[in-house]
Amino acid sequence: MTASFSRIGAIIGADFRIRFRRVSTVIVFLLLSAFAYVWIPAPSTGRTLIQINGQRAIYNSGAIGMGTASLGMIFVGLFGYYVISNAIRRDVITRCGMIAASTPMRSGEYLFGKFLGNLTFLATFVCGFMLSSMVMLLVRGEARIEPLVFMEQYLLLTPPALVFVSAVAVLFESIPWLAGKFGDVIYFFLWSAVMGLVVANETTHGAINWVRCFDFTGFGFMIDQMQRTLQTHSVSIGASNFDPTKPTILFPGLTLTREWIVPRFISLLAPLALLPVAVLFFHRFDPVRTKQVSGKGRRNWLGKIQNLFKPLSRRAVALLTMPGRGGSFLGAMWIDALLTLTLLPFAFLAFVAITITSIFIPPAATLPVVFAALAVIISDVVTRDRRAGTLASVRAIPRLRENYVWWKLGSTLLLSFLLCAGPLLRTITHGGVALGALICGIVLVASTATALGILTANPKTFIVGFLTFWYVVVNDKGASPLLDFAGFYGRFTWATIALYVCVSVAAIAIAQIFYRTRLART
Amino acid sequence: MLAIEKISKRFRAGNYGVRDLSLEVKSGVIGLLGPNGAGKTTFMQMIATITRPTSGRILFHGQDVAKRPNELRRQLGYLPQDFGVYDNLTATEFLTYFAALKGVRSKKRVMEMLESVNLHGVANRIVGGFSGGMKQRLGIAQALINDPELVIVDEPTAGLDPEERVRFRNVLSEIGFGKLVILSTHIVSDVESIATEIAVMKNGALLTMAAPETLLRTCEGHVWKAVVSSEQFDQLRTTLKISSAVRKPDGVHIRFVGPSPAIAASAAEPELEDAFLYLMNFAETTAPAA
Repeated sequence: MTASFSRIGAIIGADFRIRFRRVSTVIVFLLLSAFAYVWIPAPSTGRTLIQINGQRAIYNSGAIGMGTASLGMIFVGLFGYYVISNAIRRDVITRCGMIAASTPMRSGEYLFGKFLGNLTFLATFVCGFMLSSMVMLLVRGEARIEPLVFMEQYLLLTPPALVFVSAVAVLFESIPWLAGKFGDVIYFFLWSAVMGLVVANETTHGAINWVRCFDFTGFGFMIDQMQRTLQTHSVSIGASNFDPTKPTILFPGLTLTREWIVPRFISLLAPLALLPVAVLFFHRFDPVRTKQVSGKGRRNWLGKIQNLFKPLSRRAVALLTMPGRGGSFLGAMWIDALLTLTLLPFAFLAFVAITITSIFIPPAATLPVVFAALAVIISDVVTRDRRAGTLASVRAIPRLRENYVWWKLGSTLLLSFLLCAGPLLRTITHGGVALGALICGIVLVASTATALGILTANPKTFIVGFLTFWYVVVNDKGASPLLDFAGFYGRFTWATIALYVCVSVAAIAIAQIFYRTRLART
Repeated sequence: MLAIEKISKRFRAGNYGVRDLSLEVKSGVIGLLGPNGAGKTTFMQMIATITRPTSGRILFHGQDVAKRPNELRRQLGYLPQDFGVYDNLTATEFLTYFAALKGVRSKKRVMEMLESVNLHGVANRIVGGFSGGMKQRLGIAQALINDPELVIVDEPTAGLDPEERVRFRNVLSEIGFGKLVILSTHIVSDVESIATEIAVMKNGALLTMAAPETLLRTCEGHVWKAVVSSEQFDQLRTTLKISSAVRKPDGVHIRFVGPSPAIAASAAEPELEDAFLYLMNFAETTAPAA
C-alpha cells in the first residue's frame, strides 16, 4: 500500500515539475491571470462583470468570486483539456513509459497518478486565477474583501469540472482512437453537450432531476441559484454593458442549498468512474498498441480524409512552388508556407472553403470562424521542425540560422494571407480602415503564433492563448472597440489597429531577443 | 534464470517480429547481435513484459512471466532503444522518479547510482541539456537503481561517440558479474570484449547462440584476405561479402567471408565481425519469418 502511494506521489510530482518548468505553462498561467483584469472592468467604462436585467452587481466577494469562478471554469473545461491531454503521450514519445511499464507499477496506479497530476495542474491554475481575481477585488472592489466567501464560490463551482476534465483526459489518452485529434474534437462536443444539457434542464427549473448529477460545469447550479436569489433569467457574466440609470444590485454569492448537496457530490465523484474504464483500455506502452496512439501506425479517420485530398493539394502546391525557386530568403519563406499545405491537406481544403465562402457571404459573418481555423492551421509552423528533428538541418541552410524568427514569421504571414485571400479581397470594397483592421488581425495572429512558438516550442500555448482571447472577443460582440482586433464587428478604430500593431511588434521583438540569446549560448 | 520456450510475436498484418525462438541463459553478458529488423527489440520487449508473445512461454526462475509479470519486473532493469528523458527534470529528480516506481526509497541509493555512472557532478542539472552519452548513462543508472538480477539494454551505444561507447561498455561489463545482462546491438565491437555468450538473430529467428570462441570457429576456413586495386575493389564490393577494407599504398587490403575465395586470396584468422557476416549471409535461418 505504501509503495502504491509512493509510486502515485512520484508520478504527480514528476508531472507537476515537468509542466511547471515549461515556459509555455508560465505564459498560459500569466495570460489567464491577466484576463482577470479584462473581465473585471472599472464601472466607469460602462461595463461590468455581472449584469442583471441591466443592473450592475456591486463588486463584492460573492459577485466577483462567482463571476470569475464561472469564467475560469469555462476555460478550464474548454481549453484545460487541450493543455493536459499529453501526459501519457509524453511517456510514449520519450519511451520513459516503457521503463515505467517494466516496473512492478500497476496500470491503475499509473493512470490514477496521471489523473491526480492533471487535477493538481488544473487546480493550481484555478488557484492562481482565483488569487489574481482577488487582487482585482482589492483594486476595483466596492465592498470589504471576504476571502472565505470568495473561495466558497470557487469551491462550489470548479471541483467537478476539474475532476471531469482530468478524468476524461486520462480516459481519452488510454483509448487509441481517442488519443489524437479525433479525441480533441469529440471532447469539444462532449463538453458542449454536457453544458447544453444542464442549462436546458435548468431553464425548465430542473425538470429532470438526474441531469443535475452531471452538472460538471456548475452552470446548472449557478443558473438555479441566480433564478432563486434574483428571480430573473437575464444575467450576463463577463465584461458586459449595464444601464447606469438603474440602481446597483447586491449579489451575496452562491450558497449550497440542501437539494444541491447530493447532485454536486455526484458531479464531483461520477467522473472517477471513467478511470477503471481507462485501465481496461490502457496500452501499458505495448509498442504494438502505442503505434496507433503516436500516429505512426494505422491512420485514423482524420488521416484517411486528409489522404483523400492529398493528390489534389499536391498538384496545387506543385504549381504554387514555382515562385519559391531561386534560393532567395522570400522564396524560402514561401516554400515553408507551402509545406504546411503539403503536410496538412486539410489546410488546403480550408483555403478552398474560405475562398468560395467569401464570394457568397460577407466577411463579417465568416471572419470569427476563419480566424479560429487560421489559428489551428498556423500554430505548428514554428514548432514542427523541432518535433520532426529537422531543426539542425534547417539551420544549416544559409541565412536561416540567424534569421530563423524572420523566416518563420514570413512563412506564417504568407500562409495566413493566402488563407485569408478571399476575405481580404472582399474587404477592399469596405474601405481603408476595414482592410487595415483585417490585415492588422492577420499580422497579430501570425506574429503571436511565431513568438509563442519560439518562446515555448509548443503549439498548444498559442492555440490555448489565442482561442481564449478569441472567445472573449466573440462574446464581447464588438461592445469594446479595443477587442475588435480584426474587424469582426466593424467596431475597430485606428486606436485598435495601433494597439495590435504594437502588440505584434513587441511579440516579435521578444521572440527575436529570446532566440538570439539562446543561439549565442549554444 | 531465464528460459525462453518457442516464443513468437505475430503482428496484426500477419508478419512475425519473432518466430519460434528458444534459449536458456543463467548469468553473464549476452550479446544479442542482428541487423536492423532482425527482431531484437521485439524479443527484448517480450522479456521486459512490455509486449506479450503471441505464443510460447518466458520463464523467469521457473515462473511463467505472462502469468506473474511482477516477479520478473521486481528483478528487472530495462533501458529501451532511443530512450528519451524528461527534459525539465534534474538528474536526481529523474532517477528518484524511477526509483519510486521500482519501490526504491533510499535517496542514498540514487546518489550512489549517479556516482557510479559519473553524473554526481551534474546531479542537480536539468537533463535536457545533457549530451547523448550522459543521457544514456542516466538511462543505465535508472535500469540499475533497484539492483536487478536481469538487465536488458536495447542498442545502448547508438549515437554515442567512440569515447562514450567505451565508457558505456565498461559500465556494462562491471555490472555483469552475478547478473544476467542482455545487450542488443548491430555493432559487433560493442559486444566482442564483454559478452560471455553471443546470440545472433535474423528475420525474427535465432541463428545461433554460443560463446564468442565457438562462434569464431563456425567461420574457420571461410575468411579470406587479399590486396586489390581500387578499381577491382569497386567491382568486388558488390559481389563479395567484405568485412573490412583498408586503403594502403600497395592497394586496398580486404577481408571477406565465403565458402571459397572467388579471387586470389589467402586464408585469414577469423574475427567476430567475420563470423557475424558469415552467419548473416551463409548460415541457414532455422525458422524464417513469414
